[in-house]
Amino acid sequence: MIAGAAVRTGIGGGEIQETGKNAISVRGITKSFGSLQVLRGLTFDIPRGITYCLLAPNGSGKTTLFRILLGLSIPDSGEGFVLGEPLDKVRSIYPKLGYMTQHKALYPDLTLQENMEFYAGLFGIKGRRREEKISYLLDMVNLEEHRNRITGTLSGGMYQRLSLACTLIHEPELLFLDEPTVGVDPVMKQAFWEYFRAITDGGATIIMTTHVMEEAEKCDMVGFFKAGQMIAQDTPRGIKRIAGLTTRLLAKVSDPSGSAARIRELGFDVSIAEETLNISIDDPSMIRDILEVVGPAQIDLREPSMEDAFVKLTEGA
Amino acid sequence: MGLGETLKRSEALVSIRIYRVGVVGLRVIRQLKRDKRTIALVLLAPVVVMALFGYAISGEMSGIMLGIVENAGDNEHGVGEGNVETGFSINEALERSIFEQIEGNDAFRIFRLASEADAEKLIMERRLHGAVAIEGGHLRILLDGASPQIADFIMAQVEAGTRRGMGMLLESRSSGGIPITEAENAGDRPEAISMDRRYIYGYDIEVMDSVGPAVVGLVIFFFTFLITTVSFLRERTLGTMEKFLVSPLSRVEMILGYIVGFVLYTFVQSAISLFLVVTLFSTPMVGSPIEAMVVLMVLGIGALSLGSLFSNFARTEFQVVQFIPMVILPQVVLTGVWWPLESVPSFIRPISYIFPLTYCNDAMRAIMLRGASLGDVIFPDLLAMGIFTAVTFTLATIMLKREVA
Repeated sequence: MIAGAAVRTGIGGGEIQETGKNAISVRGITKSFGSLQVLRGLTFDIPRGITYCLLAPNGSGKTTLFRILLGLSIPDSGEGFVLGEPLDKVRSIYPKLGYMTQHKALYPDLTLQENMEFYAGLFGIKGRRREEKISYLLDMVNLEEHRNRITGTLSGGMYQRLSLACTLIHEPELLFLDEPTVGVDPVMKQAFWEYFRAITDGGATIIMTTHVMEEAEKCDMVGFFKAGQMIAQDTPRGIKRIAGLTTRLLAKVSDPSGSAARIRELGFDVSIAEETLNISIDDPSMIRDILEVVGPAQIDLREPSMEDAFVKLTEGA
Repeated sequence: MGLGETLKRSEALVSIRIYRVGVVGLRVIRQLKRDKRTIALVLLAPVVVMALFGYAISGEMSGIMLGIVENAGDNEHGVGEGNVETGFSINEALERSIFEQIEGNDAFRIFRLASEADAEKLIMERRLHGAVAIEGGHLRILLDGASPQIADFIMAQVEAGTRRGMGMLLESRSSGGIPITEAENAGDRPEAISMDRRYIYGYDIEVMDSVGPAVVGLVIFFFTFLITTVSFLRERTLGTMEKFLVSPLSRVEMILGYIVGFVLYTFVQSAISLFLVVTLFSTPMVGSPIEAMVVLMVLGIGALSLGSLFSNFARTEFQVVQFIPMVILPQVVLTGVWWPLESVPSFIRPISYIFPLTYCNDAMRAIMLRGASLGDVIFPDLLAMGIFTAVTFTLATIMLKREVA
């Protein structure tokens, strides 16, 4: 199944061909700290203009991977390109990169405005352009009214929003977000995602880590990462398919065994539990066919969760 | 890689954007401005430290318990045998002078005792620091050897009294007021041995005068080092350091930015410390206060570089505090703040010459006490402090690793 994933998504392939098409391209990266091997021959590509979600258990080397991609750590072996630049020259494209760390990286004793001015200054953004950017971003993360508040007095979610705003101040082409939505309320989370989509629509690429499965669901692409290796990478739907999880139709019928036989004739995988048929469907348009066979029934559609896929794939690896 | 590209890269390596340095500096200043406790530290620390050092270590003593055993068995002052002819004995004059000296000194609490044995007993019981006994023209000084400073002080007072007595004697002799012997009186008067103290730099320098200029440097070094180390550490714990490393800001720019921000801090603290030491402890300011400030700023920048270097070795504020005995205490002891470098054992002295405070002390004393100008202290003092700063700065930029683990 894992090998299938590799074939399906084209990862694990040989030579590095290009530099322009992918935002990130990595081949056979390894990294050890002492006797501890953190990354073991990591290979994957991230196309430009998408939101890519890195799902991984704790301690699986996510942060190490980020640090290598940001040029903060040198891999023991392997090659990689970030926005077309080889890993050892990533420094030259720092103005194009945005990095939101798990620590909020804000000065609690400065005002929101001052924190943003500082990060704007680091990237050489000044004058009216700076003021416009700050207003725009504070408005976007819904903190405009707190502009002159001392950052340390903000709530956790507000902190996170300001941290994101600071990361976006120089309009990076490639964003590294380490658990960006931790502590953000559901309404604001929605806004975050809208903004992420706006960013990627503008051609920028986002690579983020998360523990929240519903988040991963919203990404264009998900990479499952375990023990220093990419075990699967695809769209959220594709990932579930790789994990062998499909949408399931639950139908409570009067004649379970008869209905089951008829549905099997149509080529579906059916199981019966407590007078309820559990039918696996790959294609939602097939539901109509099934309903015709089953007749009147109490039905329920169950989408497989990313969590199921995650558990299944990480167990297998 | 072609030559052109190599040149371009090395150029990029050394090109420092003043604007970014300013951005970091402004931020440091803004943070300091908000940090009320640190502001209080800037303002109050010099006062407290100066007061502590100034008053406690000024060398002035008080409350010394001294016993006096005076001519036990004798009648009146000086009516001893052998002195009858003149009516005034040398012994008596000296004795009187010694007791006047002692009794006139507020540092002593005097106890008149009957015998030397009593004095000895009281010293054994630690109820007296010492005793002066004069019996039959013989002076004996009993001292508690466990407190050498007090013993020295008592000895110094007795000696001063002796000197004064001798002086008075010679004076009266030469002026013919008190004849010693008829023969001497009739003959040539012997020349009195006169003693003069001549200070090359103006006047009788008291302990605080010499310590004052050095303590100012110590205060600046200590607090600048402490605050920069903690500030740099905070960049790590806040995660901002990680963000800097993924920004166009270079390590050199970052530390330079800190220097810009903290120079203001050092400036204010230097000004306060200098003002205090001159007004409160009347340490002279023969040279230019502005030039003294320049020396302190150079020291401050050195302390800052050292702080940014040492922050690499600490993970918590608690660990920063542990640097104090390593970095600060040796400088307190070995850089000539309290006693001259000449009294530092020669095998340790090379260490003294590493510490910037050694040179700062020398330069500060030169400017404040001797009225030297900056030009006079460039070599070796400012130069040495400059080298110290350059070395620690370079190490700090190297140590500010990209791999922060």
